[in-house]
Amino acid sequence: MTISKVQHAVSVLWPSFLLASAATVVLFTVFDPQAIAACMGIEHLERTAAYTVGFFVLWTMNLASSMLTLYFQRPVHVPVIVEPRDLDLD
Amino acid sequence: MTAPNASEPAGTFYVKPAKIYPREAHGRFARLRVFAVLALLGLYYLTPWLDWGGRQAVLFDLPARKFYILGLAFWPQDFFFLALLLIIAAFSLFFFTALAGRLWCGYACPQTVWTETFMWIERWVEGDRGARMKLDKAPWDARKLRLKAGKHALWLLFAAWTGFTFVGFFTPIRELGVRLAGFALGPWELFWIVFYSFATWGNAGFMREQVCLYMCPYARFQSAMFDKNTLVISYDAERGEPRGSRKRGVDPRTRGLGDCIDCTLCVQVCPTGIDIRNGLQYQCIGCAACVDACDEVMDKIGSPRGLVRYTTENALLHHQPHVIRPRMLVYAALLLALTGGLVYAISVRTPLQLDVIRDRNALYRMTDDGLAENVYTLKILNMDEHPHRFALAVHGAPGMRLDAAADAIAVAAGEVLTLPVRVSADPQDLPAASSDIRFELRALDTPDLRTATTGRFLGPARR
Ligand code: SF4
Ligand code: SF4
Repeated sequence: MTISKVQHAVSVLWPSFLLASAATVVLFTVFDPQAIAACMGIEHLERTAAYTVGFFVLWTMNLASSMLTLYFQRPVHVPVIVEPRDLDLD
Repeated sequence: MTAPNASEPAGTFYVKPAKIYPREAHGRFARLRVFAVLALLGLYYLTPWLDWGGRQAVLFDLPARKFYILGLAFWPQDFFFLALLLIIAAFSLFFFTALAGRLWCGYACPQTVWTETFMWIERWVEGDRGARMKLDKAPWDARKLRLKAGKHALWLLFAAWTGFTFVGFFTPIRELGVRLAGFALGPWELFWIVFYSFATWGNAGFMREQVCLYMCPYARFQSAMFDKNTLVISYDAERGEPRGSRKRGVDPRTRGLGDCIDCTLCVQVCPTGIDIRNGLQYQCIGCAACVDACDEVMDKIGSPRGLVRYTTENALLHHQPHVIRPRMLVYAALLLALTGGLVYAISVRTPLQLDVIRDRNALYRMTDDGLAENVYTLKILNMDEHPHRFALAVHGAPGMRLDAAADAIAVAAGEVLTLPVRVSADPQDLPAASSDIRFELRALDTPDLRTATTGRFLGPARR
């Protein structure tokens, strides 16, 4: 089944965006980026920066996953089934 | 024509979908939408400027990790409420979809609201449907350049204001405005203002119906919530067919015609470019523009309104329609229970939290007096809007003692206090080598502001 180019692009970009948004909310509700940064010895970290970078990292990861899904959906070779045949080689 | 690719076989959809030039519809549903759009836009653009008790009334303060909604302050610990709120929103959507189809899409969806506004601007600058089509076909000249530039300038201005307001929900908008005026915006604020403005401009100016067709998850699954009693927009084929044009004042019945004069106005007004006369289609966002258009035509030719109307499948089949049906009752009951639950949970919510962390370095220490001593770090979160003084008490073994000055712990509003404490007990009194210890915290000024947390107290193994 073929779909339009717009739909193709949207089917990769958009679900990854939606899920990245949801994941960002959950992730940063549970973990305070400043607290994590403090554990890693980073003194000054703007939370807004961490949220933004976090969101884009998640989006990129989801994007990769969506693209792989599309890629693996391509039809692959179906093996040819060969009937066994008696060969008189002698 | 307006219906993109309608004549093309499925699969050759690779061409860019034809641009849709919706004609303006006039009538009761158009007025209802104008009202809805103005109300929702007003809510969006004004809310961040409202104050409540000296601070922004609605502020999802991400930098400070606190959400303020009127008199309430929510912390990340209150995530449960947000989850509950989202579930309630989902059930409301189910309820209204089962009741009256895509009401959300037609009147309240941000995509509809901003597209509508962008189309007002477009119509104001470029003119009505005919003028817009002509302008797009015309070669580039000074007038076309002026009109297009003017439209985009207005769109971008409006989009920028939208982006600014958006960020103003997450960081105090007045200060944001001052920083904007002084060209002193932080890089991330600026990024999100630009990002959101750009998204608004693209979605409402260019993507429009394609967002509904390709991107909206709700559009894909809403049909699962429909049944034969759902109010949907339908063409009354029984009454309209056979369609055909006719002279004014001719009784269609004498010509063997139905009420549809095949003027295609219902198609021209459709923002998604479909023909409602082909039956219910998933592309239909339920905007009722076709209802308004057809009613106007029916008025003109002197036929009763409602050839295209809000109706149900059962009504069209002349079956008894049922508004109250098990599905509606289940949705309504769930909705009521969840909303009641949320209101109750918020009203009994204690804006106080006590976390107890045992010192990880030592299990316990024996003091010179032969007592077993445990060290804890307490974290006291005062989530209230006022400062409080608290009294701390421990319960476990008899004679358990708390070392710290624990009778007047002051914690400012919205603060987290870290308090190291030592607790000691006579090993003889301990019920086991590891036993429960209960920390109780209560506000001295507000008797019902109290909380308790249980931890472990370790001591020598008993002989
Ligand atoms: S067919 Fe649906 S989307 Fe099109 S004008 Fe009618 S109600 Fe609106
Ligand atoms: S607007 Fe009414 S009369 Fe005109 S084509 Fe549509 S259904 Fe027929």
